[in-house]
Amino acid sequence: MALTDLVLQQLVNGLVLGSFYALVALGYTMVFGVVKLLNFAHGEVYMVGGFAGFVVLSVVSGALGSGWTAVAFSMVLAMIGVGFLGVVIQRIAYQPMLSAPRLSILITALAVSLVLQNSILGATGGRYVPFGADLGFGGINLGNLFISHNQIILVGTAGVLMLSLELFISRTQYGRAMRAVSIDKDMCRLMGIDVNRVIAVTFFLGSGLAAAAGTMAGAYYGSLWYFMGFLIGLKAFTAAVIGGIGSIPGAMLGGLILGLLESFGTMIPGVGSAWKDVFSFSILILVLVFKPTGLLGKSEQERM
Amino acid sequence: MIERSPVHSPLGRLQGVWDNPAYRWPLIFGLLALMVVAPHVLGPYATVILTNALLYVVLALGLNVVVGYAGLLDLGYAAFFAVGAYTIGIVHHVYGLDFWLTLPIAVLAAAGAGIIIGSPTLRLRSDYLAIVTLGFGEIVRFSARNLSITGGASGISGIERPWIFGWEMRSSMDFYYVFCVLAVLAVIASLRVADSRLGRAWLYVRHDEDAAEAMGIDRVKVKLAAYVIGAIYGSIAGAFFAVNLGAISPESFSFQQSVLILMAVILGGMGKVPGVILGAFIVILAPELLRDVGELRLLVFAAGLLLIMLFRPKGIWPSQGR
Amino acid sequence: MVGGKNILAMNREGFARMSFLLQKLAAGLVLATSMSAYAAAQDSMTIGLLVPTSGSEATYGQDMANAAELALEEINAAGGVLGQQVSTIVGDDACDPQQSVNAASKLASSGVVGVVGGYCSGATLPTLKIFADAKIPFVIAAANSTQLIPANSGNAFMINSTGNDQVARALEYFNSKGVNTIALVDQGDAYSQDLANLTRQRWEESGKTVATSETVNKGEQDYSAVVTSIRSANPDAVFWTAYYADGGLLIRQLRQAGYQGIIAVGDGSNSPELFNIAGSSAEGVIAFSNPTAEFLPNAKAFVDSYTAKFGHAPGPYAPLTYDGTKLLASAIEEAGSTDPAAITEALKGAEFTEGLAGDISFTDENTLARSNFIVLEGKGGAWALAE
Repeated sequence: MALTDLVLQQLVNGLVLGSFYALVALGYTMVFGVVKLLNFAHGEVYMVGGFAGFVVLSVVSGALGSGWTAVAFSMVLAMIGVGFLGVVIQRIAYQPMLSAPRLSILITALAVSLVLQNSILGATGGRYVPFGADLGFGGINLGNLFISHNQIILVGTAGVLMLSLELFISRTQYGRAMRAVSIDKDMCRLMGIDVNRVIAVTFFLGSGLAAAAGTMAGAYYGSLWYFMGFLIGLKAFTAAVIGGIGSIPGAMLGGLILGLLESFGTMIPGVGSAWKDVFSFSILILVLVFKPTGLLGKSEQERM
Repeated sequence: MIERSPVHSPLGRLQGVWDNPAYRWPLIFGLLALMVVAPHVLGPYATVILTNALLYVVLALGLNVVVGYAGLLDLGYAAFFAVGAYTIGIVHHVYGLDFWLTLPIAVLAAAGAGIIIGSPTLRLRSDYLAIVTLGFGEIVRFSARNLSITGGASGISGIERPWIFGWEMRSSMDFYYVFCVLAVLAVIASLRVADSRLGRAWLYVRHDEDAAEAMGIDRVKVKLAAYVIGAIYGSIAGAFFAVNLGAISPESFSFQQSVLILMAVILGGMGKVPGVILGAFIVILAPELLRDVGELRLLVFAAGLLLIMLFRPKGIWPSQGR
Repeated sequence: MVGGKNILAMNREGFARMSFLLQKLAAGLVLATSMSAYAAAQDSMTIGLLVPTSGSEATYGQDMANAAELALEEINAAGGVLGQQVSTIVGDDACDPQQSVNAASKLASSGVVGVVGGYCSGATLPTLKIFADAKIPFVIAAANSTQLIPANSGNAFMINSTGNDQVARALEYFNSKGVNTIALVDQGDAYSQDLANLTRQRWEESGKTVATSETVNKGEQDYSAVVTSIRSANPDAVFWTAYYADGGLLIRQLRQAGYQGIIAVGDGSNSPELFNIAGSSAEGVIAFSNPTAEFLPNAKAFVDSYTAKFGHAPGPYAPLTYDGTKLLASAIEEAGSTDPAAITEALKGAEFTEGLAGDISFTDENTLARSNFIVLEGKGGAWALAE
């Protein structure tokens, strides 16, 4: 494989991986923007989203088959269902804690993630569950470069979802309310904005996007596992911070950058894949040393 | 959630007892006496578990300096734990230097690591600092996994036990008492540093960084001090962890480990020494006591965590009015 | 809450309540320990099982526990050991070194006469010292990293062939297929790194080339970057040295990206689950494996009774655990007492011929005296013996 082919192939790999990171990172950044909370259960929401998609798919595969149409349908239903799950999590575990020290919510978030993980562990017996989608292996060959149809559909879907979110936030009334709440909650309350409703909508959207990523991951990689949310949760959190936590375009950018860093990290001569995470975390620390609020983040005051 | 006034809850009463000097000293001596007799009464299994809990007391008190006193969120505290353990593993085991001579090297190495990672990043606000510390923790763990001097993924095993005054620390009972001493020293150091000039500086910085700076406190220097002190606790705990287990491997220093230590600090009550000790005991003992519940034990543990935080949002035994 | 008197009253009450709680706690703990001592003094003996019954490897661990239980059921039905009925106690190591230390201490202090188990090498390693200090004989049924050998102080016995035997079998296979270059992929844990390093060393000693060595992280899902590196190095064979879960994903992604060469996996991947994860891509994949039940002529009855009792077929380490349990029982019988030194001595000299997975005797290092590795091939969604 020539070097240019190699670079281009890793670019494609990085874009696909980065799309997953970006979708999950959006949930972190939206919740952080509105309620200043690091939702450490978000990786688990992605995992539950995958399983929700799987359940829907196994119900509808009789009527819709197991191709992309059925996956798309499952994805939408999983997004709605898991969106409501996000709202429920917020009501049970975060709402009562809003006046508590910020770090205390970290513990409830961890507790929620343990509950979700262990529930799915109990339901699946810890086994890998084949997702059951049949998407084929087809793709486009450009010399040595290979791009599968699935990769194109996946990156495209992620792009559409992110664009819709951006439109929702910039054009609709709820979007405007979300931005207002993220600036000053108390003032919004005085102005008659239903802050709790806005927070609920934020959790709904963030969890829905994670569920979309979970379902697509199940379809694309072919199987689901109760622990699959942990690592991507960690990576997506990292991506959100690189981009500037609280910033929506930042989360998208951060996701793509992290995906590309990890892909190209395996190419460094004499170092290889064992060191790729060291490489990407080092770059992350360097970015923050020079841009202390992330690439697109705003500086702001805070108290613990 | 209605926050109950602390005096009306059973724990509040306990706090009340604690805060009354007439009861405090008898209580402390009672607890120390309990610690001394515990392994003889409870048997070898409980001794190992209690040793583990005491290890986490030291770790949690160290992290409490960073999180509770100085108000810095650290998600990679296990890195300092690892630096201590691996310094012993490499310098003591591989190069054969005496344990007691290696210990200061481990402390210096961890303090150095604290300064290297801290000085460029402590200007960051807490969430960014959190991810930098997380990244640092992962870099340390991956390096330990990939390098050959650290023994790769298998780590280092067969680490020799230390001798003190002609006595070799060997059995799990010996190490129990060693960790008792470490925990007591860590408690005394924590209480003293909290009452020092530095402790008050942390208090200002934690409550209002900008005002503190306006009053002439060098916030980066003060935060760095917290970081280095926390690192020293971690490295000492790591050093004794290495000789106790006799084997160390990168898995012991994962992100989950950092989170577990952080959980002990927050659950018990940030900044309050008795609270942090209680937190460390809970995170270690609860899953062990739940062993008989079987597969669902982590689910029960998580539900318990959630309930504790919902009813005691500031932790079980929070610091009051500081 | 005003006035000193009031506060004092509250304090007294609090103090009384706390000391009551402490008393109760202490009483409970004393009761718990005395109960286990009581159980040990009864006319029965207990064998400890050190297996992961929670965490990512829980399926394997449960399977091993089931097999041991089945073996003891048969032993007890035939009159037990030394005329006593044998029961088990499970220590869950969760495949985690720190948890395994706790689990092993629990077993050691509950009066077990011996321990069977050990699945994850990394989690088994730190327990060796605990069982050595407690002088408890330990039959290691599955874990087989070569790192375990120097850490053994003489009371542990490995009845699965070690990494050395596996590498020898793998090299023999690669050479027979005319392979010149290989790619090694591990998962950055003790077992798979050890196997990859050993393979690299022996392969390069035989004058051949390792095209690339890669490491992936457990649970990462996306291995496309590593797949691209492998494709660009274009080796004759890829050897995955870690467990089936991530291996299944890697195999799938390698084939999807168009890699045509041989794909081989180590004994951590010999699970039927691999076919669930990799789907049709697992067709033709080669596995070096310890003997699993379906390929053991003696194991027919075992498979039947296991399936009848537990509702599913035995997993890859069930036969070895079954053998290990029976080996320990026969060693106790031969020792004539539950004296640990005598049992260890009996194990050292064991000539065990009733094993499902073949005869067991030990080398000077307490490892299995013969290689038990077989070569399997993925055919029609299941493993079959390769020609």
